[in-house]
Amino acid sequence: MRSIGISLLSFMLTTVVIANAYYQKKQFYPSVVYITKSNPSMAVIYIQAFVVILMFGKLMNRIFFGQLRTAEFEHLMERAWYAVTETCLAFTVFRDDFNPKFVALFTLLLFLKSFHWLAEDRVDYMERSPVISLLFHLRVLSLLTVLGALDMYFVQHAYLSTITKGASVQLVFGFEYAILATMVVNVAIKYALHTVDLNSEMPWENKAVFLLYTELIMGFIKVILYVLFVIIMVRIYTLPLFAFRPMYYTIRNFKKAFNDVILSRRAIHNMNTLYPDATAEELQNADNVCIICREEMVTASKKLPCNHIFHTACLRSWFQRQQTCPTCRLNILQTNIPTAAPRREERPRVPPQPPNPFAAPNLFANPNLFGRNDNANPFAGMNPFQQILNPNEQNQNAANQAPGQAPGPSAPTGGDQNNAQSGSTSNTQTTPNNTIPPMFPPFPPFPFMPFMIPPPLPPEHLRRLTEDELKRLEGQERENVEARIQCLRNIQIMLDTAILMMQQYSAAASFSTITSQVPPPDRSSAASAEAASRETNAPDTNSASDPGDAAPTTSSNANDPQFSATSSADPENNNVEMSTSASPEGPPEDEVRKRRLQHFQRQLEQQQ
Amino acid sequence: MAGSALRRLMAEYKQLTLNPPEGIIAGPVNEENFFEWEALITGPEGTCFEGGVFPAKLVFPPDYPLSPPKMQFTCEMFHPNIYSDGRVCISILHAPGDDPMGYESSAERWSPVQSVEKILLSVVSMLAEPNDESGANVDAAKMWRENRDEFNKIAQRIVRRTLGIPN
Ligand SMILES: [Zn+2]
Ligand SMILES: [Zn+2]
Repeated sequence: MRSIGISLLSFMLTTVVIANAYYQKKQFYPSVVYITKSNPSMAVIYIQAFVVILMFGKLMNRIFFGQLRTAEFEHLMERAWYAVTETCLAFTVFRDDFNPKFVALFTLLLFLKSFHWLAEDRVDYMERSPVISLLFHLRVLSLLTVLGALDMYFVQHAYLSTITKGASVQLVFGFEYAILATMVVNVAIKYALHTVDLNSEMPWENKAVFLLYTELIMGFIKVILYVLFVIIMVRIYTLPLFAFRPMYYTIRNFKKAFNDVILSRRAIHNMNTLYPDATAEELQNADNVCIICREEMVTASKKLPCNHIFHTACLRSWFQRQQTCPTCRLNILQTNIPTAAPRREERPRVPPQPPNPFAAPNLFANPNLFGRNDNANPFAGMNPFQQILNPNEQNQNAANQAPGQAPGPSAPTGGDQNNAQSGSTSNTQTTPNNTIPPMFPPFPPFPFMPFMIPPPLPPEHLRRLTEDELKRLEGQERENVEARIQCLRNIQIMLDTAILMMQQYSAAASFSTITSQVPPPDRSSAASAEAASRETNAPDTNSASDPGDAAPTTSSNANDPQFSATSSADPENNNVEMSTSASPEGPPEDEVRKRRLQHFQRQLEQQQ
Repeated sequence: MAGSALRRLMAEYKQLTLNPPEGIIAGPVNEENFFEWEALITGPEGTCFEGGVFPAKLVFPPDYPLSPPKMQFTCEMFHPNIYSDGRVCISILHAPGDDPMGYESSAERWSPVQSVEKILLSVVSMLAEPNDESGANVDAAKMWRENRDEFNKIAQRIVRRTLGIPN
């Protein structure tokens, strides 16, 4: 209503001004001159022009967009505000050129800009609306054509003007329209991708990748344009302050697109190389719904080291955001050690990779070194605990399996190859202890016991070795030292993963149907340290804790070496399932939060 | 095929209508735009918000469920975890790493496992048990800690207001 009033008023004023001029001068040209000479008249004429432009804008808006959504309108207003501010800044640079034509050109630019923004918003909206009408396609297509043609025209105009008349304000226009033209191209590509996606029956998995690369390339072109513009402006005029804000955002977006592409590539790479495809059986067990999109998993799905299964495409887009498991938040990138296990499952016949640090101390691969040890696994019976606690030979055989199988989960069928490989894995834990002199106290407080890395395995019969053999064992060669350092690093990684795993426990506990609280990491690690010390005190239970047996039955995560490792850490409590790992006395937790959680769980139960 | 965010929102809407949790109604504002929802939350029984029906709006990002939605009460609210403009500040609505209050563990954070339903249930439990460590509304947090009677009075006034009963 108000806008109609203002329009009418402006029309009336214009009429009065023109009538007055004509009444005084009686002829056309003198009247025009009269109006242009009179400031109040010109003011009225300018207001009239502004009103006409607004009305024209509304008309165009009706034609191309129909009713604007609230969000679109707010977005438009916000951007228009910035654009007006920047235009005023630009005026200060070109105050010599300041004239009505100049103002008119800037107004036109603003006007066209707002249509570009609206077009962008509209095309983004395509992804959000379940119904895209034919009218929508018609509008977007015609709008993009018109805007593209106008942009090209103005760029050309600015170019010719600069060539023939030298640098002027046309430089700014040419540049602005070039930016707008890239925007049109970007929107057009997006529109095409969305349209193809809408018309396909199956979800189009690569669309996200295409969108990502479009964003990257367009961002790159824009950054180049901005840099060129700033360079030219600095050489001819002065620093174009008005271009800095959009330039900053363009560079930021480009950086983001670049990061996205890198993360995406890494995610794709990880997925293709590290994680196995889920089998039909595994899909059945996991109730077959992808937690990310809540749709059935019939197409390609992947299994993470934590045994959670998702659509490949869903996982890929998630990994661009965070490199964690969506369900249990296991950090995927820091879980490289455990992921070695599934990889081995995939191709069990492939020998260890050449750069395998575990293979470095060849010394250990030589079974002859250890007298009577002609077992395929050169580390059999080298567990110091077994040596100390179970001097009798019978227990040794059962225990021999333990170090070999702990890192290699769910592979009870592991052939010689597997055995040898897992043997060399446990080797890592062996190396640092090589230096332990034979007289070392019987119960060293192994710091990593709580995390149940296969126990350190110094050779069984240190006393029987000759001086020379011991020297070789200790190793002064570079590769031995390197291997030892590598091994220490591995232990650190394993410690990290153990902490992560504890976080994973508590995460899982708060998600699933658990009724009690989960102890925080430090506490539960202390608990397993207790268990470990119990283990050392009770020699009988030690050999009974065959992780190969315990692991598969304990939890759904048995395939994760970490999990099987922890379950073996606690021989008397074989079911270290996520739910049961909750300790009854609970940690000294914040009372409020506890109650909140319980309340939440009650709600969940009621709803079930 | 529609976008994955849209499909998931439609699936959640279907689930919520087929199997509505007690005391919660939620759905898109209009069926042409699934990225803006309205929700009605009844105050949990046995709390100072009991009996109230609180309208809120949820706005979903284009990359939902990779990013969390935003939630804002559209009625007057007085609560330690709700800003005075109605925006809700609870950990489930923040992605890990994005921590305005610096007190949440990552376990309660947003991930695609969460859903509209879980968010709304968390909000209900937040109404029942405010977390006064979060300073979304410092006055409310202070009053909740130090002057519970006054807090309850204000809450009751808000409840009456949401029901259209004059004070
Ligand atoms: Zn999925
Ligand atoms: Zn997981």
